[in-house]
Amino acid sequence: MDDTEFDRLLRICRLRLDKKERERIKKDVDEIIGYFNKIDDLNCDLEPAFHPIEIEGRMREDSVEKFDDQEALLKNTKTYRNFVLGPRI
Amino acid sequence: MEEEGYIADFNGIEKPGDYFHRLRDEIQNYNEKFHAFNFIPEKLEEGFPFSVKDNICVKGVETTASSRILSGYLPPFDATVVRRVKEKGFSFIGKTNMDEFGFGSFGINTDISARNPFDEDRVAGGSSSGAAVATALIKYHIAIAESTGGSISNPASFCGVVGFTPTYGAVSRYGLIDYANSLDKIGLMARSVKDIEFVFDIMKGKDEHDSTSVDRKIENKKSRKITVIDEMISGVDEDIRKSFDSLLGKLEAQGYKISHTSLKEIGISGPVYYIISMAEASTNLAKFSGFKYGLKVEDFSLDYNTFFTNARDAFGEEAKRRIILGTFVRAASVRARYYQKALSLRALLIRKMREILKDSYILSPTMPIKAPKIKDVEKLTPVQNYMLDILTIPPNLCGFPHISFPYDYIDGLPIGAQVITDHFNDKALFSFVEDWENNFTYKFKYNLGEI
Repeated sequence: MDDTEFDRLLRICRLRLDKKERERIKKDVDEIIGYFNKIDDLNCDLEPAFHPIEIEGRMREDSVEKFDDQEALLKNTKTYRNFVLGPRI
Repeated sequence: MEEEGYIADFNGIEKPGDYFHRLRDEIQNYNEKFHAFNFIPEKLEEGFPFSVKDNICVKGVETTASSRILSGYLPPFDATVVRRVKEKGFSFIGKTNMDEFGFGSFGINTDISARNPFDEDRVAGGSSSGAAVATALIKYHIAIAESTGGSISNPASFCGVVGFTPTYGAVSRYGLIDYANSLDKIGLMARSVKDIEFVFDIMKGKDEHDSTSVDRKIENKKSRKITVIDEMISGVDEDIRKSFDSLLGKLEAQGYKISHTSLKEIGISGPVYYIISMAEASTNLAKFSGFKYGLKVEDFSLDYNTFFTNARDAFGEEAKRRIILGTFVRAASVRARYYQKALSLRALLIRKMREILKDSYILSPTMPIKAPKIKDVEKLTPVQNYMLDILTIPPNLCGFPHISFPYDYIDGLPIGAQVITDHFNDKALFSFVEDWENNFTYKFKYNLGEI
């Protein structure tokens, strides 16, 4: 993978690496893609197995479920007057 | 199902009034040395002790999956497995150490590595390192652990305990911090398979909160045939190979018919597994955005991308590697070559392994090496690391239930074998290992909580 492609990938991943970490991870990524390429050894046209077992699509009732511990939920956020604070969009 | 094993012993013995107080202190003291736990509660309730891997939610208890990005996260609910076990009167004794998000085979991708109770310079295995160490240390205890590609079998083998990974979907994943949704299975570790069977019966079954959990009868179709796949023993260390041959001899003497076969697809199971697991992990980790769960990026004046990027600085190096690679294999330009092909190859491997499993167990050593020294695994490249998972990946990738059980001790270190059966035939594994336990005594160096 060339540097431009790697940097593009980092941007998509929203990851920032320092110089040493970038060098190390870039080398590993190239080596691991080489390992992935072993799958070229086998041809296969079976339907993809998204799960290891058959799973029927299941729908649940479209209804409101009450969760009565808002305080516990909000403990995991920064809040302002019970609104969750988040970054600008 | 009746209580048996250590659970029955524990419940049948009268305990001193301060038993749970002393047990807590003992665990805390030993944790200074072995680092099995990320969290131990101030006070233990009465009941048979159980621990929970730190990627499974326990209400009101910090749950971090050993990641800085989740530090301080307090789940407002219990995972379904935790709720079911608590309701049966078991006593929660702590959250166990692990590789960050389950990304690792040696328990070293965490702040402080758990130590192997048989030799403190060696790894405990991973990613459920702390669960295996806790089981090897505490006499009366069961560990709720989780496996994606071998995270139960591997540490169970290195620490000399029994590790059970159920059929995919047999146990609810609700409350698990996902690594790879199509591969994650919540399972158990204990000192006896009887305890595992008892607690599995409590945990299993459909859950409305997990759409991939299924309500299928768990069978006990026993077999007297064992198949050894040549590709699963060709790369193991010489001493383990010899010891495994002697295990086959013992099983043959007990009436099992042993046969060997070749399955060349085993060779690609590693890359197939890592492609699928990294693809899924890279999407799962996107939810940690710095303003809910754990770590907070306090500066709300930042634009979203900078804010999000700042939060993701908290991931460890292996997590970053997997996000990058998982994002790569899902890219439109290469998706068919990697991700989609890996899913097709998983279907092929399931088909091929099921042909063997229809009337036979598959048996192999659990790991190709003995528990290595911590300083040695730190030198491995990621690919060298991933290749050591070659024996635990096939059943995990295909969702087949499997158990690792101790069967030998080489140079004072425990060695495990892994027995695999067909989907939803989990109970046959319990029968197989129970037969083994009737003829073999496991060794433990520590018995915390002994009465």
